[in-house]
Amino acid sequence: MITPDRIAGAIAQLPTLSTVATRLWSLTRDERSSVADFEAVIRPDPALTANLLRYANSAWFAPRSRAESVRQAVVLLGVKRVCEVATLAAAARVVPPRLPGYGLDALGFWQHCVAVAVLSERLSGELGLRPPDLTFTAGLLHDIGKLAICSFVADQSDEILSGLREGLSFVSAERRVLGLDHAEIGAAVARAWNLPPQVADVAAWHHDPGRAPDSVDRALVDLVHVADGLAQLVGFGNDVGELAREIDRGTRQRLGLKVQQLERAAGDCLEPIREMGALFAPAGGPR
Amino acid sequence: MALITVEISDLRVSADQDSTLVTYALGSCIAVMVHDPLRKVAGMIHYMLPLSETSAQKAAERPAMFADTGIPLLFKTMYGYGCEKKDLVVKVAGGGALYDDQGLFSIGKRNYTVLRKLFWKNGIIIAAEDVGGARSRTVRLEVLSGRCTVQSQGEELAL
Repeated sequence: MITPDRIAGAIAQLPTLSTVATRLWSLTRDERSSVADFEAVIRPDPALTANLLRYANSAWFAPRSRAESVRQAVVLLGVKRVCEVATLAAAARVVPPRLPGYGLDALGFWQHCVAVAVLSERLSGELGLRPPDLTFTAGLLHDIGKLAICSFVADQSDEILSGLREGLSFVSAERRVLGLDHAEIGAAVARAWNLPPQVADVAAWHHDPGRAPDSVDRALVDLVHVADGLAQLVGFGNDVGELAREIDRGTRQRLGLKVQQLERAAGDCLEPIREMGALFAPAGGPR
Repeated sequence: MALITVEISDLRVSADQDSTLVTYALGSCIAVMVHDPLRKVAGMIHYMLPLSETSAQKAAERPAMFADTGIPLLFKTMYGYGCEKKDLVVKVAGGGALYDDQGLFSIGKRNYTVLRKLFWKNGIIIAAEDVGGARSRTVRLEVLSGRCTVQSQGEELAL
């Protein structure tokens, strides 16, 4: 079992997430904001500025005209894409080279995060559900708890793996051996980083949306739960838990989701996941 | 020894005798591995979804994404190397599932069903298979020997 102060220490040691992305998302919700407001938030961040120009001029985005400035990039990409790029760039910077307890390197972890972000947003569109800002961000950051507890998981990996062989899901095995799991700790990390409460809720309940309290946006948690399952199922960044994960019984009905929608989303998202993942790959070395 | 990686929704065929075909993290996806011991040719597909009717556009761009367009293409590519159906040794791995009693994530099972139908219609026999379960698999196929291995849950076994 891990004591609360050891967890608090691990969270305090994580690099913090840049707040630029959160500020940009809130600008998109403000009708009065202008391109100049976006520019004012982005320009002081040289790494983000570079990323944004790289993205706007990348082959994948296939620009008709070249973006030379932040202002042009914002106009070319649109504010939603700009926010996504900022979120991806911020998240890529906090991914460590390895997550030992989960059997993942930076790229494996990253591929999974990007896959869940892209699939959550795509499924949300398919179901006509909700504005994309929180869906993408919450999907991308659903597993941040793993950053804080990967070394504890590594210390006890034999016991956790023997739980899997007994038929437990990975998250249940974590809880049995450590007394806590990466979902619960993810919510604590989200709060420590001052992320929107919905992002913390998704981190907290993404393995168990049915048990989330009524105050939580359950549709959002359900979406990320499904996207997470789908990403694992088709092999985007599998961790040591492989497919040992439970799907909530109520999710299918609550979302009104059909198997064909799931399959179409998986097929359509394969390339966007690869391209977006590669453009913002964390500095972790080759796989 | 050269490793030829077969990505998700891709297929590769090789007659390079120093090479090994490999594909990583098969969840619900399925790898079909075909080896011709006479001509020393090996092929592998890593398909993701059962039926191309899900997206005609994707099927045109990436036939190896779907069982019904990808598997015939794998065999045709083998025949292009001079292989004959009667000589081919066919093995199958993947088709895993999550703990999902509502059947929403039944992609693995559907992937396997379509494969069995295709093989039955075309008289193709599966020499060995490792499918299903809450497992992710990495598989390798050596071009020269046809030796095929499945790595999963920390163990590697010959198939």
